Amino acid sequence: MSSQTLSPAGGPPAAEQKHTAKERGRVLPFPITGQEIVLILVIAVLWAALAVSTPAFLTSSSVVPLLVAMAPVALIGIGMTVIIITGGIDVSVASIVMVCAVIVAKTMVSSGIPLPVAVLLSVVIGGLLGLINGVLIAYGRVHAIIITFGTANLFKFLGLQIFGGTTVDNIPGTLDFFGRGAAGRTLGIPHSFLIMLVIAALAWYYLRHTAGGRHLYAIGNDADAARLAGVKVQRRVLLAYVLTGALTGLAACFVIARGTSTLAPNVGAGMELAAIAAVVIGGTSIMGGRGSVLGTILGALLVQTVTSGVTQLGWRSQLSSLFIGIFILIAVGADLLRQRTRRTA
Amino acid sequence: MSTAVSDRPPASAPQDSEGSGPPTSRARQLLSGVVRALLTQRIVLLLVLLVAVVITMTTLSARNYLSAPYDLSYMSATLISAVPLVMLGLAELLVITSGRGGIDLSVGAIVSLVSMVFGFAYGEWGWPLWAAIVLAAAVGGLCGAVNGFLIAFIGYPALITTLATYYAYSSLAVVINNQQPISTQPIQDFFSAAGTVPVAGLQVPLGTITFLLPTAVVIWLLLNRTTYGRRLYAIGTNDVAAQWSGIDVRRTRFLAYTAAGIISGLVAVVTVAQFASARPDAGVAGNGMALPAITIAVLGGVAITGGIGRVAGVVLATLLIVWLNAGILLAVPGNAGSQFQLFALGIVLIFAALLNGLTQRKYGGTG
Repeated sequence: MSSQTLSPAGGPPAAEQKHTAKERGRVLPFPITGQEIVLILVIAVLWAALAVSTPAFLTSSSVVPLLVAMAPVALIGIGMTVIIITGGIDVSVASIVMVCAVIVAKTMVSSGIPLPVAVLLSVVIGGLLGLINGVLIAYGRVHAIIITFGTANLFKFLGLQIFGGTTVDNIPGTLDFFGRGAAGRTLGIPHSFLIMLVIAALAWYYLRHTAGGRHLYAIGNDADAARLAGVKVQRRVLLAYVLTGALTGLAACFVIARGTSTLAPNVGAGMELAAIAAVVIGGTSIMGGRGSVLGTILGALLVQTVTSGVTQLGWRSQLSSLFIGIFILIAVGADLLRQRTRRTA
Repeated sequence: MSTAVSDRPPASAPQDSEGSGPPTSRARQLLSGVVRALLTQRIVLLLVLLVAVVITMTTLSARNYLSAPYDLSYMSATLISAVPLVMLGLAELLVITSGRGGIDLSVGAIVSLVSMVFGFAYGEWGWPLWAAIVLAAAVGGLCGAVNGFLIAFIGYPALITTLATYYAYSSLAVVINNQQPISTQPIQDFFSAAGTVPVAGLQVPLGTITFLLPTAVVIWLLLNRTTYGRRLYAIGTNDVAAQWSGIDVRRTRFLAYTAAGIISGLVAVVTVAQFASARPDAGVAGNGMALPAITIAVLGGVAITGGIGRVAGVVLATLLIVWLNAGILLAVPGNAGSQFQLFALGIVLIFAALLNGLTQRKYGGTG
C-alpha cells in the first residue's frame, strides 16, 4: 500500500493527483482489494464456462432465479460482515429467519396485512431477536459463538412452537413484489436484488466513511485499545447485532416470496453457514478488524453461482457444498498468505 | 473474543481464616465458601444440579405428573443417548483446550462420512467387525488430521477450517453412495450391539461399556497421566510460552484435532448400531451433533479460550443434559417434547457461558 508501489505517472498534473491519492491512501485502504478482483475474475470465468457448457445459463429465466436466490443470503451476509469485523459471529440468523418468516406468514394468512406492514413486522421482530443476542454478548461479556449457539436453540424452539407442528399453507401473494415472478421485476431486474444492492451501498458507505463504521474496525482490531480511545465498545457491538437481526428480518420476507405459498418448519435451515461462507470468501477476516461489504456480495454471488451451476450441469446438488468448502479454504488461505507476506515485507 | 474484554480485577487472594471473628461472620464465611466452591468448582455445581434434576423428576414421577415412571431403570436406559454425547464432548474438550480459538464444527460431518465408510466395509465388503472398526477410527483420524494440518501447521482459524470441512465431509457422505443409506443384513444384525447388558440388576446399554467408558478412561489418562496432556494444557494456556519452553506446539495441536477425528469415527460405529443402518446424514441431521457436543463441553467447564477443561466435567454435564431431556420427554408428551429439549439446551448453554464469564471475572477461572 505504500506510495512507491503506485505506478509513477507522467506529467505534473498527474503528479499532483498522485499526491492526493497518497494522502487519502493513508486514511483509507484502496476501495477494492486484491481478493475482490480475483473473485470478480473467478465469477466471470465460471459464468463464461457455464454459458458455454449449458446454453440455458445466460438467459433471464436462469439468471433471475439466481439473483433472487442470492439476495437473502447476501442481505444477511451484510449484517454478518459488520459483526465479524467487530470480532464476533452470529450463528443464530437461520433461526431468526424461521421465527420472522412464520410470524409474518401466519399474520398474512389470518389478517391479510399489506406489504409495508408485513416488512415492518418482520424487521422489528428480527431486530428484537438481534437485541437479545447483542445484550447477552456486549453486556454479558461472553464469546459470541457460545451465546448465539444458545439463542439459535431458543429461537428455533420459539419458531417451532408458533408453527405448531404443521406447515403454513395458502400464503397470499402480498410479498410477490420480492419474488421471481413478473411482479417482482423492474426492467427485468428482481426487486429483492436491487434492494439488497441499495442496502449494501449504504453499509459500504457507513463502514468506510463514517466515524461509527471505523469504530467497528477499531473494536475488531483491539477492543481494549478502542475503549481507551473513547469508542463506546458495548453500544457499538450491541448495534451490530440489532442491525443484523433487522436485516435478517427483511431477508425472511425475501425467503417467503421466493418460495411457494407454503412455508415448512425447515425454512432458513443452513442460511447461517451460507452467510458466513459468503463473508469469509469475500475476504473478511474471521479474527475481526478487516473486511468489506463488496467482498461479501461477491462471495454470495460466487456461492449461488456454484449452487446453480452444479444443478444446471446435472451434477448431484450436494456436490455444491463440497465446492463451497473448497472455496472457503482457498479464500482463507489466500488471506493468510497475504498477511504473512505483509508482515515479512 | 475481543468483545468479551472486561475490567477484571485481579483474582482475589484466598481469604485467610486465622482471624475468626464472631459466629455471625463465621457463618457468612461458610456461606461465601460454599458459593465460591459452587462457582469455581464446576464439578460441585454439576453434581448439585444433577441431584436437583433427579430429585425433581422422581418427585414429579411419584405424584403421577409424568407419562411414565422416572426411575433407575428408565434412567439407565436413556444412557444410550449419552454415549455419542460424552464421546463428542470429549473430542471438543481436546480441541477447545488446545487453545487459539480451538473448536471443531465438523465432528457431525465426520460421523456421517465415517458411518458410510463403516457401512461399506462391514455391510458391503464383508470385513470382520474389528477390521471395520479400525478402518472407521482410521478414516475419522484422517478427517481430523486434515483439520489439524490446516489449523496447526498452516495457521487457518479453527472456526472457518472446520466450517469448510463440515461442508466438504457432509457433501462427500451424501455423494459416496448416491444419498442411499446402507442397511444390508450384517448392518441390521449389528443392532444387537446397541442392546443392553445387566449390571448390578439394571439393564445398562452395551455402548456405555464398550465405547463410552474406554474412551473416557483413555482421555482421562491421556490428559492427567501423560506428558502429552501436560503439553496440551500448556499450549492452550499460553502457546508462546509453551513454544519457548521447548514444546512442539504445532504437533501437539495437530494431534488434538486428529484425536477428535478418531473419536468421531468411533461415534459413527455407535450411531450405525443405534440406527441399524449407515445413514449419510447421521451426524448432521436436525441440529447436527457438533452443537450439542460443544454445549456439553462448555457446560462441563471447558474454557472456550483454551487451557482449562476436565473429563469429569464433561461426563457430569452429559448426565445432566441426558437425564433432564429424559424427564422433559415424559413431562411434555409428543412432538413438543423434543422442542422443549431445544429450549432447555439453549438456556443451559447460555447460563453456563454467563456463569463461566462471571467466575472468570470474580475468581479468576474454574478449577
